[in-house]
Amino acid sequence: MDYDPMAMDEIESKGPVIKISQADTVRVKFELSNADISFANSLRRVMLAEIPTIAIDLVEIEDNSSVLADEFIAHRLGLIPLNAEGIDELQYSRDCDCEEYCDHCSVKLTLHARCTGDENMQVVARDLVPSGDRINRVLGTPIINESSDGLGPLIMKLRPGQEIKLSCIAKKGIAKEHAKWAAPSAIGFEYDPHNKLHHLDMWYETDAKLEWPPSEYADWEEPPQEGEKFDFNAVPDRFYFNVETAGNIPPDAIVTQGIKVIQEKLASMIKDLGETEGGENGDYNGPRSPEYNGGGGDGWQDQGFTTPYGNGGNQSSWGGGAGGTTPYGTTPYGGAGQDNGGW
Amino acid sequence: MAKSKSRTKAPQNADEDDVVMQELPTSHQPDVQDDASMAEANGEDDADIEDEEEVEDDTQRVRLLPGSTPTAASFEFLDEGHTLGNALRYIIMKNPDVEFCAYAIPHPSEPKMNVRIQTYEGTTAIDALQKGLKDLQDVCDVVSDKFVAAQKGFKKKSIPP
Ligand SMILES: [Zn+2]
Repeated sequence: MDYDPMAMDEIESKGPVIKISQADTVRVKFELSNADISFANSLRRVMLAEIPTIAIDLVEIEDNSSVLADEFIAHRLGLIPLNAEGIDELQYSRDCDCEEYCDHCSVKLTLHARCTGDENMQVVARDLVPSGDRINRVLGTPIINESSDGLGPLIMKLRPGQEIKLSCIAKKGIAKEHAKWAAPSAIGFEYDPHNKLHHLDMWYETDAKLEWPPSEYADWEEPPQEGEKFDFNAVPDRFYFNVETAGNIPPDAIVTQGIKVIQEKLASMIKDLGETEGGENGDYNGPRSPEYNGGGGDGWQDQGFTTPYGNGGNQSSWGGGAGGTTPYGTTPYGGAGQDNGGW
Repeated sequence: MAKSKSRTKAPQNADEDDVVMQELPTSHQPDVQDDASMAEANGEDDADIEDEEEVEDDTQRVRLLPGSTPTAASFEFLDEGHTLGNALRYIIMKNPDVEFCAYAIPHPSEPKMNVRIQTYEGTTAIDALQKGLKDLQDVCDVVSDKFVAAQKGFKKKSIPP
């Protein structure tokens, strides 16, 4: 077992390398090289779907005389990006001790607008006012980009005399549950710009080379030589990421948070496995290997394959009970002589 | 009486059943029953089993599937998917003591991911899994450190002298 997981092949002898080519408030572009595609894809997936953020989850509408239906507005509110700084200190509502929600697991925002002029009025994200005791001064505040003249995303419009009054509860969540909790707005993920590995099959009218614009990373890698033979052993090892944010989490923080989420997954698995091994069968549900059983080898296997309710002895879990001749012969509901079916 | 009893018991030879069971794909093995039988064998009562099912968050998310031997085991991960599965499969296959490793998501509507590990003699599948998880942690540590370092380097470069 004496080997370095990151120094197995010649290609990977240096371990993973990261090069950043662009970084600002909206995006970070970086190249991950000397890594396997499985890891690169894990990072991409985890950044997209599993970084916790905050988004409006409950909307209580007090007054709505606009032309838009309540649920339509509620849906739009859910999609408004909210600042997620300090999200680590916010609890998931489902884990919180409170009844439904509280200051430890939610941020309350209120919206009240009435069109008093004689021209249509815009209701924007800036009109959402956070209230209550917050973990910090920014968590849950709508993101207002400079490009929107300090107004933020448009929520709805009101005609003269129309009014909207509602309160929202923003909760912590991940994009696996609903895309409104996505930390990045988009992630670019690309490798093998010259398609040397033939992972892509480019559709074309007459000539794929002319019709497909070269990737922005085409210059970073050697183009295929004239008449170059296909390398069956080649695997991708340079991955170009472009992590873009709507503003709720800075782009570089998305990357570090993503790695952190993977780490947490792994840590919980290691902990689980440790519990599996330790203790006198403890919480462990399944059959275990002899060495962890403390007993002999056969005892382990026999235990694994008996039904819990059967009439004792070593019975198949499939067929089960008394009347079972073939494993599939008896139905669980039929009266084939079973008191409790194997299924 | 004696006749029916013997007929009842005859096909229920443990060894025979084991063979049948092991030929079935693990996703088709009736694990629930096995769990309960295990609990029964350990002298736990029914209340404990129910409790285990009710508590959701603190339950085990990794489970050794029935039909496993020390060097050839299948594990079931709850609430995990390709994100962990593929990377774990890769890193476990890197281990020279591992003969075979693969992962599968048996059904898309069940939040389960299975990993099969077969090792050479001298180590166990559980050890290989543990090593795989730790190796993946190491990779994450390196990538994390390298990213932070690259960030600092980039900021330095972009500030004009
Ligand atoms: Zn709460």
